[in-house]
Amino acid sequence: MSEQRRVRPDPALALLEIYNAALPQVYGYLLSRCRNAALAQDLAAETFLAAVGAARRDPGPVSIGWLIGVARHKLADHWRRQEREQRNLRLVHAEQYEADDPWDATLDAVLARQVLDRLGAHHRAALTLRYLDGLPVPEVAGHLDRTVHATEALLVRARAAFRASYEEGVS
Amino acid sequence: MIDPLDSLRAPVMPIEPDPRFATQLRARLEHAVLQPEGVAMTTTVDAPAHTIGCYIAVDDARRALEFYVEAFDARRRGEPYIMADGRIGHAELAVGDSVLMLADEFPEIDMLSPRTRGGPSQSLYLRVPDVDATVQRAVDAGARLERAVADYDYGRNGIVVDPSGHRWMVASSLPPPPSRRHGEVGYLTYAVPDAERAKAFYDAVLGWRFTPGRVENGWQIDGTAPMSGMWGGATEPRIQPLFHVDDLDAALAAVRAHGGRAGEPEQQPYGLSAECTDDQGARFWLLQS
Repeated sequence: MSEQRRVRPDPALALLEIYNAALPQVYGYLLSRCRNAALAQDLAAETFLAAVGAARRDPGPVSIGWLIGVARHKLADHWRRQEREQRNLRLVHAEQYEADDPWDATLDAVLARQVLDRLGAHHRAALTLRYLDGLPVPEVAGHLDRTVHATEALLVRARAAFRASYEEGVS
Repeated sequence: MIDPLDSLRAPVMPIEPDPRFATQLRARLEHAVLQPEGVAMTTTVDAPAHTIGCYIAVDDARRALEFYVEAFDARRRGEPYIMADGRIGHAELAVGDSVLMLADEFPEIDMLSPRTRGGPSQSLYLRVPDVDATVQRAVDAGARLERAVADYDYGRNGIVVDPSGHRWMVASSLPPPPSRRHGEVGYLTYAVPDAERAKAFYDAVLGWRFTPGRVENGWQIDGTAPMSGMWGGATEPRIQPLFHVDDLDAALAAVRAHGGRAGEPEQQPYGLSAECTDDQGARFWLLQS
């Protein structure tokens, strides 16, 4: 049985074939979300190297869309690590927001991205996956390793933090 | 309800990275894809030899190495030895403080994997700080859950059968938790700037022994009551207690009402916990288990 496994073409080879087309897509996805070129490079490298093992473990189609999914995992992992460090290393000064007030506004795109950059890693991760990537809440929960209920609560707080920071920036 | 944040939707737009980076990453990718044993980013780890060690036969050594790295936090130890016919003749992994050796099947000397033999003839016993997380990772990486994680008199444990057919009893390296009454200290964390220095100091003064914990730079202190751990990486040394509470939401509300700050509740394997700060700035955790 191991003979058969060895003669089967290595699914990771497909990664080399699509590398030139896939790298700008993966890098563009990461850079537009983390907005830091060095970090985007690190995460892009992690994405492709992790994809080698993933393609072999679970031989499905190796496509750009699949690679973006791997990149999204790496980005969420990064923010989770960052959040753990922030939580470990300094006092918790997140304000507590209790209610999800309806908010009727048209966002200024540039200001909105600056506000996102300033938010804590867990808020930034939740809003990026939910809004920039347009994922449904259960998928956001999966990436953040939280329950759907906890993710909904996190999104409420993240939206409130975003709004407070945004309105401060407008005024 | 209109949500202004919906306007942030950002489809993927390609951006060309620095060409030097693109070239370097391609080289790394080629190396990872093309090296014959398929071992990406090999690292060598020292682990002391114990009196008894495990040397197991697997039906696909490359897949097995990846599985143990992913599921059990194993670290690759040296390069696998590749035979002329392509089989892995010998490979080593460091798992916790032990070494796991493995090789592909060698029917010519009757070394066959459990899958080929029709089942395992032994269990491998793995001690980890967080049984639930390890078992979940093993299942996510392709193991079959044979017995779900549960508490026993001898500790919390569960059984998985890995993709090579080996049966692993995954057991807690921690003593079973004591009773949990509201207001009792459940755990103490010694947060220090330098874990190695602190370990040496408390070993010399109190004779403490340490086991690697579930976070990087984290250590369980063996045999203390209440259970205690050390974490290196704090800017200032502090001792941070964890208190048991009957109702976390009520306790967090009380923290806020009395001038403290309450963090977000998070589900941990051992219960629902939140980090708080009291009204003078001292940090503590609350746990509802």
